[in-house]
Amino acid sequence: MDFQFEQVEIFCAILRGILAQSEDPMKRTLICCSAVFVTFATAAFIFADIARPKPSPAKVQEGKIVFHTGLTIAPQGDAAYEARLQISQESLKNLQAALASAQAGSPSTGQRIAQSSTRTIIAGLFLFLSVSFAGVWLARSASRRSHKAIAAVLLVVAVVSAAVIITRANAGPPGYVRWAGLPKALSEGRPTSGGLDIEIVPEGSGMTLIIPIRKNNNSKGEE
Amino acid sequence: MERSAEIELVAWRSARLNGRTHLPARRFVGMIIGCAFLSATLASWLPLQFSTITVFLFAGPHNWFELRYFLMRLPVRFGRSRNFFLVAFAGIGFLTLTYLSLPALYYTNYWSGANWPTALALWNTLLLLWIAGLVWLRGRQRARRDWRDWFWAWPAAFALSGLNWLAPELFSLAIVYLHPLVALWFLDRHLRRTRPEWLPAYHRCLLLLPLLVVGLCWQFARAPSLADDNGLAWRITQHAGASLLSGVSSHLLVSVHVFLEMLHYGVWLVALPLIGARGSIWDLKTIPMARHPRGVPKLIAAALIVSLSLVLLLWFGFSIDYAATRDIYFAVAIAHVLAEAPFLLRMT
Repeated sequence: MDFQFEQVEIFCAILRGILAQSEDPMKRTLICCSAVFVTFATAAFIFADIARPKPSPAKVQEGKIVFHTGLTIAPQGDAAYEARLQISQESLKNLQAALASAQAGSPSTGQRIAQSSTRTIIAGLFLFLSVSFAGVWLARSASRRSHKAIAAVLLVVAVVSAAVIITRANAGPPGYVRWAGLPKALSEGRPTSGGLDIEIVPEGSGMTLIIPIRKNNNSKGEE
Repeated sequence: MERSAEIELVAWRSARLNGRTHLPARRFVGMIIGCAFLSATLASWLPLQFSTITVFLFAGPHNWFELRYFLMRLPVRFGRSRNFFLVAFAGIGFLTLTYLSLPALYYTNYWSGANWPTALALWNTLLLLWIAGLVWLRGRQRARRDWRDWFWAWPAAFALSGLNWLAPELFSLAIVYLHPLVALWFLDRHLRRTRPEWLPAYHRCLLLLPLLVVGLCWQFARAPSLADDNGLAWRITQHAGASLLSGVSSHLLVSVHVFLEMLHYGVWLVALPLIGARGSIWDLKTIPMARHPRGVPKLIAAALIVSLSLVLLLWFGFSIDYAATRDIYFAVAIAHVLAEAPFLLRMT
């Protein structure tokens, strides 16, 4: 590690010398950008010095949610002798498609990105270059109109981003709220509806219905 | 040098002054609206059949007309544009060869399918950097504006490259959907130079495009996917991105794609030849490189005859084995997609 600190000190000394010699601000900007890039690259290189993590024990196979739909639990009196699971034609078709997709093992776009670290690193590098070059262009651009246009674009992006964050507040309440009244509804013979994630688990047999019922339900705060 | 620049302008000037095109503006607008609605109707009603027929009929001829259009816009001497055209032609050649080599290497088992997205991302990055380079070179040529006004091409290309590396397949699919719209941009540039009085009407017509696309989305968002149980139907749905956008109805994807393709063919086969008509399409004198004393009329004639033979060969191939010929065509057709970039930049 001492050797690496020595390298960084030498690098900084060289950089100071170059910056002192160059009078052109464009050159300075480019040198600074290059220095930042080299620093990032060095950081990535030094990262290899961290001890390799101990191999973790084999992961316990977890369930995989393949489909989200709705579920209604309807108690039935003397007319029924066996519990029945009714699935609409449309839901069955969607479920079949979801199961086929899950069995095929085709990952989603997000999963694809997360699984390819090399591609993500290269994407990050290009976005870094984009921001750097855009900064240089903005600094060197003489046109005030383009400054105003960029400021307007940034403002619009900020407003849209803020709107996105704010409107997330309009998202529905968590799923367990809908199931909170299930025991009472069952005792009164009323149906209860809520969201349902269909999860494929590697072990066990038959089907298990897990209902999220919170004992200390802060209904006032959530509603 | 000045003469070569003048020659380039002559093509536009004569197109403007020549009175052979007696197409009134109202009829032009009516044609655009009629074609757009007819394309949208047929694309939504019989997407697979319409896609099969349009590619069979128009794919080859529209490439021929595009080649002829580009030859008409090619200066006899490159002069100051030498670097621009060198980069342009080298890029077209290199990117076409590498694009064709990707499936060839895959099918000869030189690499596994797992590396396909990386290869695709690399090719897309080269494409973006090539276009950025052309934009920058074009900006440097233009004396009226500061070259720094064109420097935006680099950050834009880097940003797009970054997005491309996150999802290369989706980026390639975006090119499939955006390429037909480039023809509308060509038409805009052409009208700007030859019929500027038609531009406002044309821009109003362009507003119809998002409305029709939204209409198609609204109509087919919940439509069941098309039955792609045979090889041809599967190819058409895959080309429209059915496997990448598995949550979207393939009926919607194919309809939108065929609709945009039809507009693309309409511009190259009908609109631009009608507006820019300056004599018979066989008349080599309408092409500056063939007309000029320093030009190469034999080479131009040979290029047009060879490309016409390829159109006939394509039709023959379609009639023998439609699906295989379609695959080959869409691989080779990347050359005309690439060629549009430098010529569009020359028109800006």
